[in-house]
Amino acid sequence: MGEIIVTMEHIHKTFPGVHALKDVHFELRSGEVMALLGENGAGKSTLVKILSGVHPRDSGSMTIFGQEYGDLSPKQAQALGVAIIHQELNMCRHLSVAENIFLGREQTRLGTLSNREMEKEARRILGDLKIDLDPRKVVGELPVSKQQMVEIAKALSTNARVLIMDEPTSSLTSREIDDLFRIIRELKAKGCGIVYISHRLEELRYIVDRVTIMRDGQFVSSANFADTSMDEIIAAMVGREIKEKFPRVSTPLGKRVLEVRNLNAGRMVRDINFSLNEGEIVGFAGLMGAGRTETTRAIFGADQKQSGEVILDGKAVSIRGVADAIRAGIVLAPEDRKKDGLCTKLSIRHNIALPNLDTLCDAAGVVRRARETAMCVNAIDNLRIKTPSVDKDVATLSGGNQQKVVVAKWLARNSRVVMFDEPTRGIDVAAKVEIYHLMNKLKQQGIAVLFVSSEMPEIMGIADRIIVMCDGRITGELSAAEATQEKVLTLATRFETKVAAANQ
Amino acid sequence: MQVKRMKPLRRFFAIRGMASAMIAFAALIVIYVVFGLREPNVFSPVNIQNVLRSMSKYLIIGIGQSYLLITGNIDLSLGSVVGMSAMISATLMTHGTHPMIAALIALAACLVIGVINGLLVGKAKLPPFIATLGTMFTARGIGYMINNNRNTDAIASGIGKEAGDAFQSFFYYGKTLGVFNTFWVAVVVFIIFFFLLSKTRTGRHIYAIGSNADAAKLSGVSVFATTTKAYMVSAFCAFVVGLILCAQAGMGNMEAGNMYEMYAVAAGVIGGISPLGGTGLLLGTFAGAAVWQTLENGLNMIGAQVGLQRIVIGVIVVFAVLLDVVVRRGTRKRIR
Repeated sequence: MGEIIVTMEHIHKTFPGVHALKDVHFELRSGEVMALLGENGAGKSTLVKILSGVHPRDSGSMTIFGQEYGDLSPKQAQALGVAIIHQELNMCRHLSVAENIFLGREQTRLGTLSNREMEKEARRILGDLKIDLDPRKVVGELPVSKQQMVEIAKALSTNARVLIMDEPTSSLTSREIDDLFRIIRELKAKGCGIVYISHRLEELRYIVDRVTIMRDGQFVSSANFADTSMDEIIAAMVGREIKEKFPRVSTPLGKRVLEVRNLNAGRMVRDINFSLNEGEIVGFAGLMGAGRTETTRAIFGADQKQSGEVILDGKAVSIRGVADAIRAGIVLAPEDRKKDGLCTKLSIRHNIALPNLDTLCDAAGVVRRARETAMCVNAIDNLRIKTPSVDKDVATLSGGNQQKVVVAKWLARNSRVVMFDEPTRGIDVAAKVEIYHLMNKLKQQGIAVLFVSSEMPEIMGIADRIIVMCDGRITGELSAAEATQEKVLTLATRFETKVAAANQ
Repeated sequence: MQVKRMKPLRRFFAIRGMASAMIAFAALIVIYVVFGLREPNVFSPVNIQNVLRSMSKYLIIGIGQSYLLITGNIDLSLGSVVGMSAMISATLMTHGTHPMIAALIALAACLVIGVINGLLVGKAKLPPFIATLGTMFTARGIGYMINNNRNTDAIASGIGKEAGDAFQSFFYYGKTLGVFNTFWVAVVVFIIFFFLLSKTRTGRHIYAIGSNADAAKLSGVSVFATTTKAYMVSAFCAFVVGLILCAQAGMGNMEAGNMYEMYAVAAGVIGGISPLGGTGLLLGTFAGAAVWQTLENGLNMIGAQVGLQRIVIGVIVVFAVLLDVVVRRGTRKRIR
């Protein structure tokens, strides 16, 4: 392992009302992958934002490549070779790969763009990373994983030697993660120092050399990854032992609640048949882009379907729009909370009430405020949402608490079927467990629970039955007892072979 | 649970948009006092009455535009619909139609424009700026054609002097409790739409689609129906202002309501309605309309040129949005 390239000492940072960082210490060596771990709100993001010049620090010192700095501007940080790849990618969707890589640093000759040179250079950078990508492709048409690689290529084209990745794998499939890890290893070999922020602890062992753990804005510990166990890491993150990572309750199987027959909706939802029963949680597994999200949306009426029947409690229900599904008692807590789950400019109260206004309003359509307050307070209690008041903006909550609000919207009414799409994405361990408890509670109440997840351990740990999708079709079904990671993965990669079909 | 009760004052300012509205009210007082010190007549009862009457038009159209701004859209057809309302009602009255019937027909025509806006923006998903630009020209054109491209005669020529006077008095020249009726009309419109926006399901939906249309849709909100309702509210407001202008002139003027859509944006924005949607209070629009009118009146009273008046108002609008942006940036930092 190389020499120390970044040292941050005694870093303090306060935001109005929050002491975000307290005397934090951080160190990065060249040629290593340093995992920066901690629950949501532990201060990881704030720390890397100070390192990359996004936020100024209150006090403390930073030494980068032997030179001491006070505050950095984003531009200075870039010039020093510090690059950050955010969880939400920052790309111009309408521009090409090469144009994105050279955005803001376009090469020109006599004032005109030298497109050919830039494309050549982009191809060289991509080739160095062994990324198979045409630099002329429009970025918006690429899958997220490829976009992320463009982002990495962009960072490297500025000669980044410190690369910060914030939750880089959260939207990737396992195969794409393999690609990413391969690239990370290449970067390591080139002597880059990599700061790796992730909630997915199970993937650390493939790439991480050292870990730094933070909790509540403080530095907790730093160690060689090989010398620590996962239990120790989790204990250090949460400050307490989590007894059971996946709480499981068993309830007797009840009658059939939902049956979906011959559902078709576009390329990603083809001939879907399955059913849900009382007293079970059904997990939808598959790779990213397998059509799981699209399936839930089609059932919920958010997207049009070409054909298919939805049978609820033995009766066929006609769902032409979301409102029909909600009325029938089928609800969906969507995947992307900022995009689909929450009105981020509104309060917790308004968000929880939004899908329930039918029950909260009188005949004239006037909102009954007392009823509404009762519903919201009840939801905050049940889900243990941390907030001083129901009238706080949801934007002020942490990710885990925002996710709980998304869920709370739908639990405030009596539904028969609750579908969760990636309910634990990007939230901390403790909040995840609370979501699991909640799903168990619904299961005990006889509500049919369906959840989509890309985290294999979670599916294996929580679902009573696992339905696996691949390329818009259901490729198999496994009971919790018979399911293994290998079996799930085999089903998830059972693509239709197009070549064979053409040759017949 | 540990839901703390905030202190009343803090709770008041915790209401989203309240801070901006209160800043606008504070600005109003400052502007008023500054002009009053330069020109004591600003404080005279007669002038106050005039200001209240003139601001009423801005308030009513401001309410209509605020509904659209909160949904994250805009209604450029507002001013043309004002003109259409004035021309249709005036033309009918010059032909002897009872003012009530004339008004109802004008209302129906205005609401049709509102529904068309709703269809274009909410259903066909046209950019609101373009869709309502189209209806803006169309509605103005209809206003022109109603009376063969001429202003109308006096409405008294059709419905008689007595009925004409009654109409003009009801909307413009008459007073109730010592204040011009126009202001009371505005107050009634304000109360109705304040209630609709803050206390009803429709109001919640309007904020929700302005904040995040995708999330609202997945919560069972019909974006189309809500957008259409907002456009119908603005068409209704334009209709009322059309009657007021008709009563003021005693006839239909083809150019009635020209540029009002922009005045309406200004009133809303000064009062802290975010042009990006999702936030704002009608209380702010009230303050915005009053600031606007107080400025216009004050500059008039101290004898400032018209050109200067426009410049001052332009600067104030930009300043108000700038303040909004700065405040927003501040909160975002705090949230991290």
